[in-house]
Amino acid sequence: MHHLINKHNDEWQLADQQGSDQQMVEWCDAENWQPGQALKLSVDAELDPQWTQASIIGIDFPALTDGRGLSLAVLLRTRLSYSGDLRGVGAVHEDILHFMVRCGFSSFELPESRDPAVALNCIAPHKQYYQNSVADPLNHFDRV
Amino acid sequence: MYQYTEFDRSFIEERVDHYREQTSRYLNGQLSEDEFLQLRLRNGLYLQRLAPMLRVAIPYGTLSSQQLFALGKVAREYDRGYGHLSTRQNMQFNWPELAEVPDILADMAKVDLHAIQTSGSCIRNVTTDHFAGAAADETIDPRPYCEIIRQWSTNHPEFEWLPRKFKIAVTGAAEDRAAIGVHDVGLRVYRDNKGEVQFDVYAGGGLGRTPVLGALVRSELPIEHLLTYLEALMRVYNRYGRRDNKYKARIKILVRAMGVDGFRAKVDEEWSHSKGGPGTLPEAEISRIEDFFAPPSYSEQLDVTDVLAERRLANPKFSQWLQHNVIEHKAPGYAAVTLSTKATGVPPGDVSDTQIDAVAQWAADYSFSEVRISHEQNFVLPHVPKQQLFELWQKAQAQNLATANARLITDMICCPGGDYCSLANAKSIPVAEALQERFDDYDFQYDLGELNLNISGCMNACGHHHVGHIGILGVDKKGSEFYQISLGGHAGHSELAPSLGQIVGPSIPRAEVCDVIAKILKIYVDLRLEDESFLSCFKRVGIAPFKERIYAPSH
Repeated sequence: MHHLINKHNDEWQLADQQGSDQQMVEWCDAENWQPGQALKLSVDAELDPQWTQASIIGIDFPALTDGRGLSLAVLLRTRLSYSGDLRGVGAVHEDILHFMVRCGFSSFELPESRDPAVALNCIAPHKQYYQNSVADPLNHFDRV
Repeated sequence: MYQYTEFDRSFIEERVDHYREQTSRYLNGQLSEDEFLQLRLRNGLYLQRLAPMLRVAIPYGTLSSQQLFALGKVAREYDRGYGHLSTRQNMQFNWPELAEVPDILADMAKVDLHAIQTSGSCIRNVTTDHFAGAAADETIDPRPYCEIIRQWSTNHPEFEWLPRKFKIAVTGAAEDRAAIGVHDVGLRVYRDNKGEVQFDVYAGGGLGRTPVLGALVRSELPIEHLLTYLEALMRVYNRYGRRDNKYKARIKILVRAMGVDGFRAKVDEEWSHSKGGPGTLPEAEISRIEDFFAPPSYSEQLDVTDVLAERRLANPKFSQWLQHNVIEHKAPGYAAVTLSTKATGVPPGDVSDTQIDAVAQWAADYSFSEVRISHEQNFVLPHVPKQQLFELWQKAQAQNLATANARLITDMICCPGGDYCSLANAKSIPVAEALQERFDDYDFQYDLGELNLNISGCMNACGHHHVGHIGILGVDKKGSEFYQISLGGHAGHSELAPSLGQIVGPSIPRAEVCDVIAKILKIYVDLRLEDESFLSCFKRVGIAPFKERIYAPSH
């Protein structure tokens, strides 16, 4: 099992263990996926416009240090305009969450070994950033 | 100089708090060694052979007098009384306590300094010409564009976890003192005939075990598109750069695998979606940043040509220093001064807290409170009135910072090597010291003229041996330290394309390095025509005569 972190009323939260949030997602990989199903992508996937019809998209991080999933998330949000739930799965680490949030992820499967309280505590270490992102279209220079 | 805004300041304060929290999680056992490694590297902290090493970012090598005083304080209070100037214009401290690093970072944040992204597989501190804004051969001051890149690359959400480290350098002068040809991305900035700022973008250069010169991937890139283009290029690298083998993970390997045309097409395709998008630089922002780098308020200077000439006659040492360590400035009556750290017996780039404080004071007294760090590991005072040169020289002499050897054989670039670095195959500092002693005769050095000698303790090439006129690389041969010598490397300038050194022959044990270098110099002196420099001579005669004579059996 894992801890599910998502947004509720615009606040990041640890999803209710008993609630509907925790229903098991039945992931399909890109080869076996059909529109309407949950799609789990590997970080080296090439974009397919059909994916906007997924019920949810997960990007499977192979390691804390592998940033390909960040670029893939940005492309899903900006190139395909995917607006559904985008979930980080696999080697999701509390210290990467703030990068993932800014690249457009909307929920996370945090491995059971990690402390969700720590994760929620470091999900937004800065009030503002220099560059625009999926989460905030303004650059620092747009605010000056 | 760029002045921090409230936003910059609160950003680095937040970063210190965040890193303090990460450090305490590590010390509490909530983060493993491997997890913490990734976080501390991105805050400049290495665990070295003997102790941690903290690399402080000096964005594009520019510091204020106040910031340098603060670094002197760090050297005194947290280190053993010295710091080290790195080949990427940063300053390193070799003995901080891991648990104290958040306090050091908090002290530095008070003077707008940090250690963000000075290590790790992310976009590193951007570097440039150490004479930027001062050199007479400059067409445009590159620092505003470096600052724009610094801001954009700091905590970039998408590019903090790249296949490997990523180094960007910018030059705006005829002579490329930033060595853009050997960077992951090199930018040449200039004005077009309408006065608009543009860039030529080179990608895929780098040293390391596979040295490559960068290829031109886009010319005439208008300034407003700088960031969207870089973003497209970084995205291609982040997605397609190799991650299975760290020795094949730099962008140069990707560019070679895709071919320059293939890589360019891929970046252009990516860019076609984001060009003109949210990262496009508004004119107001470009001028806001450019204004920070307006020239200092130079005053009208007395003509001191005669006074300096008299001083030179009376004082040959001062005369040599003027000739080698002082260069022409854009502004009449001013000069840019190199304060050499390469005195005999001192590891190249090492400076004591007293020296750091002294340079900070001279910057305040003589150079509009500005200091630079050069990639040759020296201090530079960029704007010194010529009438104060003699006074400055006297003070610099008293601090052992007036060695008149800028660009000569003893002004060598040298990585910390096996004495400190856990990656090194061989020591480099003792080699540098032996060479300094061997060639301590200044008449001989002056006769040799311009000669860059660069030493790296391993093929990661932090000492830039590939672009030294003479390069020395430490290698490990069955557990003993050997050294490979290469000749003819050059970082390039407007009239001479950069070139990588050619290996002269089998590697040699440390005890023979000085003798072989002496032979190389003798061969050059025999072969040169009149005032021909080492590099020009090498270009003319090639490597063959060196090979023949170095390895000829002695009689």
